[in-house]
Amino acid sequence: MAARKGDQPDILSAAIFIGFGVLALFLGRELPAGSLSQMGPGYLPRAVGTLLIVLGLAVGLPALRRPFAGIERISPRPVLVITISVIVFAYAATHLGFVLASLLLIVLGSLADPGGRWRTVGLLAVGLTIFGALVFVYGLGVQVPLWPAFLTEGT
Amino acid sequence: MNVFDLLMLGFSEALTPTNLGFCLLGALLGTLIGVLPGIGPTATIAVLLPITFFLPPLAGIIMLAGIYYGAQYGGSTTAVLVNLPGEASAVVTTLDGYQMAQQGRAGAALAVAALGSFFAGTVATFAIAIAGPMLSRFALSFGPAEYVSLMVFGLLAATILASGPVLKAIGMILIGLLLGMVGTDAETGSERLTMGALELFDGIDFIVIAIGVFGFAEIITNLERSGSEGVKLAPLTRLWPTRDDFRRSWKAVLRGTGVGTFLGLLPGGGATLASFSAYSLEKKVSKTPRAFGTGVVEGVAAPEAANNAAAQSSFIPLLTLGIPSNNMMAMMLSAFMIHGITPGPTVLTTQPEIFWGLVASMWIGNALLVVINLPMIGLWVKLLTVPYRLLYPAILLFCCIGVYSMNNRIFDVMLAAGFGLLGYAFRKAKCEPGPLLLGFVLGPLLEANLRRTLLIEQGDPAIFVERPISLVMLLATVVLLALMILPSFRKTREEAFQEEES
Repeated sequence: MAARKGDQPDILSAAIFIGFGVLALFLGRELPAGSLSQMGPGYLPRAVGTLLIVLGLAVGLPALRRPFAGIERISPRPVLVITISVIVFAYAATHLGFVLASLLLIVLGSLADPGGRWRTVGLLAVGLTIFGALVFVYGLGVQVPLWPAFLTEGT
Repeated sequence: MNVFDLLMLGFSEALTPTNLGFCLLGALLGTLIGVLPGIGPTATIAVLLPITFFLPPLAGIIMLAGIYYGAQYGGSTTAVLVNLPGEASAVVTTLDGYQMAQQGRAGAALAVAALGSFFAGTVATFAIAIAGPMLSRFALSFGPAEYVSLMVFGLLAATILASGPVLKAIGMILIGLLLGMVGTDAETGSERLTMGALELFDGIDFIVIAIGVFGFAEIITNLERSGSEGVKLAPLTRLWPTRDDFRRSWKAVLRGTGVGTFLGLLPGGGATLASFSAYSLEKKVSKTPRAFGTGVVEGVAAPEAANNAAAQSSFIPLLTLGIPSNNMMAMMLSAFMIHGITPGPTVLTTQPEIFWGLVASMWIGNALLVVINLPMIGLWVKLLTVPYRLLYPAILLFCCIGVYSMNNRIFDVMLAAGFGLLGYAFRKAKCEPGPLLLGFVLGPLLEANLRRTLLIEQGDPAIFVERPISLVMLLATVVLLALMILPSFRKTREEAFQEEES
């Protein structure tokens, strides 16, 4: 790869800006814009969306010509593990109760760091779950069931 | 009632067992996260924001404020002892603080930092007490046109004074504005930008964005950059500074306090900017500028005083005008909103106990922090050895509970996870996410006031230049933008932030 060009982080920002701008224009395409004296719900989304596209071009075009600058290395492991474990928590908290959700979150989330040992992870999961249940569910009164519904329904 | 009576009212509020307890808790938490690298006050407050919903309004706000200024104390500890700034605002403290520690004067550096911070905190508390009522009386005369100009000025000034390229920061504000528009349009009742998702009809929750962009994204980036374990501690010696230290640092503390209090007031200002400016000012007025970086006590005293003063004085625009000046204050704004209080000039008259209680708690919190930090320093130092892999599962759990507890909806947590990915992309694109939060909280206010103004004026934008206060704000915005284009100014600004990043 000889003499590649382009400031990658800036090109990525430009893509994000233009993406949001286009999305705003697209989603707001049917909203009435109104006039300056009677602004409709679509006026500002359209204005901001257009500005974002212009800004994206202003950031992106010069960046294409600048010398090459790479994006920091992306390691997929923490990105995937953290995102997935958060989503698992959301479903588990609703259907399985806080205790199982919290244990799952911490055990799964610990996979993001390759250096973890199972003993410490287990202790951490149990300890944090007890702490969370005491502080949030009992102490602060967060409305979330502690145990799965099929366990408590029987009693 | 005069200021004295009002301060008495504030102290009687702040000294109730509940409020005192949460003030102490906030100060402890602030010190803790200040000491721990890898978690800062922004992420912490994002995580704790939903929890304050379950607390009385004043207690929750007192606690969050305590975390912010408490982190300024804690950040200096690691800066001095291990050459690792616990907070961005303590970066300059490492320059001379760590050198002092190497010379066996760690105790003196820590004591000067804590005492300087306490002095600065006291001054800033009084600044709020005096400037608050004055500014809010002034703000009561504001109409919608003034608010529009003020917000435009605030948003743009925030991008210019903050670090990073200005165009990108403006882009982040615009994205924030867009996100703030999602939901039901306040004036016509039609839903917009929701993609038909029922859950979005009430708009996106601030907490979802804050936890996604600052909580989840920060955990991910920190995990990528592992290998910060195994810190080497400088030996801790006697705590009390020498007479010579006192003699040399009191002026630096005074200057730092002045710089910090002033910079905290400006939009985009705050603890980090203040500590850098105070350090460079100290270097300029010193007779021996070359000695800086080799362990001079002024180099610790001035920035530490400045960051604490700024952390507190940045509450002034929020409490008096209802305009947050940085992302920390955007968080505080939403902490108020959770309890149905809209910060601004009217709070001072309708709910004086909130304003004065908070002001009084700041002074109490500062006094507590000196006690927490100096005699208990050994305990905090031990915490430094806790590796991140034991910390992040806890942070992750608190983030998840926080988002989930708002509405008990899977949707909110999924959305926050999505914002986590977005925040991660922002970091890869080297976009500072702070302005996004500012745009998000100010967006609805800006839109409502803009539409109201133009409705009254029948679409004639001339009003913005006809009203004097509005005109001044707009002129200031233009001047700031013009300064950005001037090459010489741009160069000094870039140099200033280069130092910050290295």
